Amino acid sequence: MGGMGRLKSYVWRYWRRYFFGVLCLLGTVTVVMWIPRWLREAVRIIEQGGSLSDVTGYALIIMAAGVLQGIIRTLSRSLIFNAGRDIEYDLRNDLFAHLQKLPLSYYHSQRTGDLMSRVINDISAVRALLGPGILNLFNTPVYFVYAVILMFSMDIRLTLVALLPSPLLIWAVRQFRGRIMKSSLAVQRQMAELSSHIQENLSGMHVVKAYTQEENQIRQFVKLNEEYQEKNMVLAQLRGLIGPCMQGFNGLSVMAVLGYGGLRVIRGELLVADIVAFIAYLNVLAWPTAAFGWMLSLVERGRAAMERLEEIFKAEPEISSADHPAAPVESNIAVEFRHVWFAHDAKANGHAVLKDISFTLPKGRTLAIVGRTGAGKSTLAQLLPRLYDATAGEILIGGREIRSLSLAELRRGIGYVPQDPFLFSASLSRNLSFGRDGISEQEILAANRLTRLDRDVAIFPEGLGTVVGERGITLSGGQKQRATLARALLTDAPMVVLDDCLSSVDAQTEDEILRGLRSVVKEKTCLIISHRISAVKDADEILVLDEGRIIERGTHAELVERGGLYAELHRQQQLSEELEQI
Amino acid sequence: MDQPNKVNGKTAEDVRPKTGQPSPVPDHEDEIFGKAYDFQLIRRLWRFLVPYRRLFWLAMLVLPLQQLFALTQPYIMKVAIDRYIAGAQLWGLQGMALLFLFALVGEVVTAYLHYYLTMLVAQRSLADLRVAIFTHVQKLPMSYFDRNPVGRLVTRMTTDVDVLQEMFAAGVMTLISDFLMVAWIVVIMFTLHVQLALVSLALTPFMLLAINFFRVKARRTYRLIRERIARINAYLGEAISGMAVIQLFVREQNSYREFDELNGAHREANQLSNIYEAGLYSMVEAVGTVSIGLLLWYGGGEVLHGIIGIGTLVAFKEYLHRFFVPLRDFSQKYTVMQSAMSAAERIVHLLDTPIAISSPAKPVVPKPFRGAVSFEDVWFNYKPNDPVLKGVSFNVAPGEKVAIVGATGSGKTTTIKLLSRFYDIQRGSIKVGGADVRDWDLQALRRHIGVVLQDVFLFSGDIRSNLCLGNGAVPEERVLEAVKYTNSDRFVSRLAGGLDAKVRERGSNFSTGQRQLLSLARVLVFQPEILVLDEATSSVDTETESLIQDALEKVMKDRTCLVIAHRLSTIRNADRIIVLHHGEVREVGSHAELMQKQGIYYRLYQLQYQMEEQKRGGLIGEAKV
Repeated sequence: MGGMGRLKSYVWRYWRRYFFGVLCLLGTVTVVMWIPRWLREAVRIIEQGGSLSDVTGYALIIMAAGVLQGIIRTLSRSLIFNAGRDIEYDLRNDLFAHLQKLPLSYYHSQRTGDLMSRVINDISAVRALLGPGILNLFNTPVYFVYAVILMFSMDIRLTLVALLPSPLLIWAVRQFRGRIMKSSLAVQRQMAELSSHIQENLSGMHVVKAYTQEENQIRQFVKLNEEYQEKNMVLAQLRGLIGPCMQGFNGLSVMAVLGYGGLRVIRGELLVADIVAFIAYLNVLAWPTAAFGWMLSLVERGRAAMERLEEIFKAEPEISSADHPAAPVESNIAVEFRHVWFAHDAKANGHAVLKDISFTLPKGRTLAIVGRTGAGKSTLAQLLPRLYDATAGEILIGGREIRSLSLAELRRGIGYVPQDPFLFSASLSRNLSFGRDGISEQEILAANRLTRLDRDVAIFPEGLGTVVGERGITLSGGQKQRATLARALLTDAPMVVLDDCLSSVDAQTEDEILRGLRSVVKEKTCLIISHRISAVKDADEILVLDEGRIIERGTHAELVERGGLYAELHRQQQLSEELEQI
Repeated sequence: MDQPNKVNGKTAEDVRPKTGQPSPVPDHEDEIFGKAYDFQLIRRLWRFLVPYRRLFWLAMLVLPLQQLFALTQPYIMKVAIDRYIAGAQLWGLQGMALLFLFALVGEVVTAYLHYYLTMLVAQRSLADLRVAIFTHVQKLPMSYFDRNPVGRLVTRMTTDVDVLQEMFAAGVMTLISDFLMVAWIVVIMFTLHVQLALVSLALTPFMLLAINFFRVKARRTYRLIRERIARINAYLGEAISGMAVIQLFVREQNSYREFDELNGAHREANQLSNIYEAGLYSMVEAVGTVSIGLLLWYGGGEVLHGIIGIGTLVAFKEYLHRFFVPLRDFSQKYTVMQSAMSAAERIVHLLDTPIAISSPAKPVVPKPFRGAVSFEDVWFNYKPNDPVLKGVSFNVAPGEKVAIVGATGSGKTTTIKLLSRFYDIQRGSIKVGGADVRDWDLQALRRHIGVVLQDVFLFSGDIRSNLCLGNGAVPEERVLEAVKYTNSDRFVSRLAGGLDAKVRERGSNFSTGQRQLLSLARVLVFQPEILVLDEATSSVDTETESLIQDALEKVMKDRTCLVIAHRLSTIRNADRIIVLHHGEVREVGSHAELMQKQGIYYRLYQLQYQMEEQKRGGLIGEAKV
């Protein structure tokens, strides 16, 4: 389904609104189109010296028509514009729902700003197509057809004269349309150039300053800016021509009616009333004519925007629930990895991040993974809740391949603490109770005690009600990490995954938290990732990861004994602790 | 919010944070909802129009001309009907038709001229404004960029300025002309026939009241819409960056509900505004039609009594038609004005940001300049009460090579940033060539210091422009020499175009090692007396590593060097090593001396350098399970 196909299905959803809107539109046009006729009758009576009461009658009819027209017009515009808003709303919701289904890898390949701009600006452009666009799409032809028929019915020759400038008008619209499209594309492209120069300048500001490149940067900017101004001016000239031109063509028709009509009046073939009526028709047509070019650009813009939205809709939610999810079975093995491989871009033979990982984690036990930065520790953890899918091998939870489980069930079973402590700009209590419905205050307080967050909350101005700011900006790194830990514990999931989540917490607090955790989570299965030996030394088994492979495994004592990478990391850790103390 | 719909007033102040002192939290200036008209703001931006005031006034002068042409047309109709058609004078009618054509052409030409001149003024002055913002931003201190996201600053220079342009294209100028036009029409109508004018315009006062009513309503809903779209924006941005968390906790449905709520509120405000706007538009149209009815009723009688001709009636009808068009378009223009004012406010706000770090009025120029550096009891903090450097003192003699070492967070990087005066210190003094950095001309100071940072930043363009950085006076030989000397020629010569080979944004088409070599070549092209180097920690392949080491030694020769060292070879070549620990200088000496001391350096060495060397040599990580 193409973008416009999808859009049609939305329009169908609101066909009633559009139907009644268009109906009212036709009603408005009908009333508007009869007014010049009544005007003609009134002027005819005046011209021929009839009775004032007849004139007054027509005047009253026109006034009544004015009021009636006002009411129906309000209806038609509201109905059609609001239908556009309804579709905008649906589209935005659907897009959001779709975005939620897309895997993490999608977000790595897209820039946030670009996605936002689509959901905000492109949808707006589509809405303009659906509201004012559709309105004018009906309006303009209906006005023309109606007016021309009525004019013909009054006098064929005068109508033909009035329509003389029309071919010119059509020609002009065609000319402008192509040129304006081209010109506005050029403006957009130049704007992109300008933006990326600014972007680059700002991101490289330290180099700009260090090498005193300010003048030079300004010079380059001025050049791009001048080009932008010139291209804008070309566009402005084209745009500026349309309005006066359309007005001019309309005026030409008026002049033709006045000149030729006047001649016929003098000859006695027509009445002044006919000229008045014709000019009234031309007045009515002035706006739809002028709006025509504008409407075309609305339609073009809306189409292009819809295609951009379609790109998001077309993105596959690669990771989804199995069609017939299996129920997890009771098993003593909580997690099992069987020869798991992973590469971020498997199709393009990407560099393998994890190589042949196999291990079993019995229920209620703790498994730790250590290694240097970039060894693949976090990726391993992210495979469990299926933030990514393994490229090869099998991952089993409760004896079932995770891809055969329901995605929601799988994820609900894991209390995950990500490395990047992401909090939402809401109150602390809302953040903590994010993972499950119906979390009581007592539970929050208990989790806070466990994560040593209680001491911090006590000095917050509004306690648990404190709003943490965008991405939790008002909290320190350690506070954020402990809050995300509390959030995970509060889900009550039987398994917790801690992805290096206490790195910003000082060693002593970390120790306290981990001790507290062990007492509470005795029955929980734990996967701890850390680059700190202190955090993992009590684990039932420790895997040492290096460049995606398990190079050592065993308990703390065994690994220290062995004298490999783990022992080296252990030694370094001791050194840096000593260093801290100096 | 208790009172989101305050009718009069303090819209901007309500939302805008109290500025003055920098806050660590980025202020939400994107959410300023302006008034439609703010004299202060207009006066601030007026100075950008001043250079083009002749064009501007010319555009304004064309206006009455355009209106003269426009408003004679109905009068020509009147004369044509009353005098020549009624009098059956064909030649007169033809004359009137020609006159009409003349007026029409005049109107079209002047209308275009007015638009063209206005846009010329707008484009030129806004281009100047853009340059003014860009120039101002170049002068802002680094601390500003630490606090403000790049995206927002880009928006100031692009989208916000374009909104102002939109105002020129559709708002202010035409608003003035609209007002003039309406006034003219009233004058003409009263001149033609007082009673008829009174009757035709009888409904106007009521309509103005109604327009005002709609305007107030529309303004309220407009504010609501702006607020709500801002919320959708914020929510969406957060949801996209936190999508992993939403998915991990299976909260898709909850956040969908929340989004739906915001989205629905936005729709509701918009639909309300649609109804107001449709009402306003239709009402003006309706009043226009009713007025024609009134005109017919009263004017018909006057014609029947022989007081006026039919032509006058026609002319009145035409004038009425032209009278209502600007009133109908008013609300749309008002909206444009409103967003333009809030854009203007955000721009002025940025232009008002103090520069903070600038050159003194009478800068000192130490001559002859030799690359001596000294830190005397330097205290510095990024955030109040959280000192990063606590009384750091050391001296570097001209030509001396000093390595700075320390654990993460010890203040190494801050120290070298202070030397180029990216930030100002709170206490103590930093001297370069014997003069305090605050007494130096900023540009001159920085030209004496070559900085190579860990993350090498290349600009898009070509290799040559990245080495010369816009300094056209650099002789070709020097560039070639620098490239050769730093071993960069090994890959540059293989590239199509050599020195003219394209560099993509941030130098993404070059490897880390290649970028490092180019940054060293850049130093050689600039020939600074002082080299400040933050060695990269990222590992490169053995071959490139030896090339870099070779180049480094060459670049450091005969220069005062301050190096944050990560290579053992760099440390060994240093004349002195300064050990920073928790923002203080704790040990100073040569490698051998410090090792013997068995203090901080000794441990740092074991922790960092030993490992680093082994890693670079590829000694560790071979043991397999």
